Amino acid sequence: MADILGAFEQAVLLAIVRLGEDAYGRAVLKEVQVRLDRDVAAGAVHATLDRLENKGLVGSRLGSGTPIRSGRPRRFYRLRPRGFRALNETRAAVESLWRGLDWPLGEST
Amino acid sequence: MTATPPEWAEALLRLVLDRDHADSVSGDLLEEYRATVHPARGQSRADRWYVMQTFGYVARSAGFWAAIFGGAFVARTSLDWLAPTDDFHVRSAVSTSIGVGTLMVAGLWAGWRSSRFAAGTLAGLATAGFGAVVSIVGAVALLAVAHDPGTMAAIRGSGGLAEVFTLPLMLLLPGAIVGTVAGVAGAAVRRVLSPGSPSPTINP
Repeated sequence: MADILGAFEQAVLLAIVRLGEDAYGRAVLKEVQVRLDRDVAAGAVHATLDRLENKGLVGSRLGSGTPIRSGRPRRFYRLRPRGFRALNETRAAVESLWRGLDWPLGEST
Repeated sequence: MTATPPEWAEALLRLVLDRDHADSVSGDLLEEYRATVHPARGQSRADRWYVMQTFGYVARSAGFWAAIFGGAFVARTSLDWLAPTDDFHVRSAVSTSIGVGTLMVAGLWAGWRSSRFAAGTLAGLATAGFGAVVSIVGAVALLAVAHDPGTMAAIRGSGGLAEVFTLPLMLLLPGAIVGTVAGVAGAAVRRVLSPGSPSPTINP
């Protein structure tokens, strides 16, 4: 069965795609905040990353720390094949739902 | 001078994080605190931001268990009010078992995740605390819907309104105790099955 993603899961996965090699926790948080144009709790992003990793949609590796992090490592994320598939299937499902409708919708629609 | 968030909040954060993710997640939060929040808002507001973020992690970690804990309490209250009985033994046994069982599983899970027994204490306390909010809000909603003379008589017969609103708060201490015991077990099992101690807080 297809993995149809929620809006926040899509935002996190697409942030990882956009960030490429630089997709670690805080960078993903900032990217999601910019794209959604609102303040997002760090816990929401980390919980989503955790869930996506448990579902096999993303993988992660530990990188080196930096002084501003007091040496704590950064965890870098990348999409796994199942993650790409889930994003593609979600986009296809949304496009299918909208097909034949004008956008933006108005009350006369 | 390097900005540093409140130590107690940092310690609290580590209790609700998975042992293998604690350094990277707390590092992300520390980096955001130092690079963005502190320069823009100053020490006290940045500290407040850090504390609120930490409470968010705590709420996320305990929310599921608190919903079960509080939901069971609301279900029991509904049953006592809407289907009165003179024999509360079975109902008490079932609701107590669900409550204690939920606290134990929450404590076990928390101890396992962080590999620290104090995580169980926090999980028990948070589950009972957030569960108390669910219980009280649920009881108020139930009372708003059902307050006919028959229901009010059933409420008096089952311990009265005072018990409904104070009992959830009286469960905070037992919640912490049960959570601690379960947390010790969870942390011990994790350490035996997956050796490696939790990393200590890294000070700047």
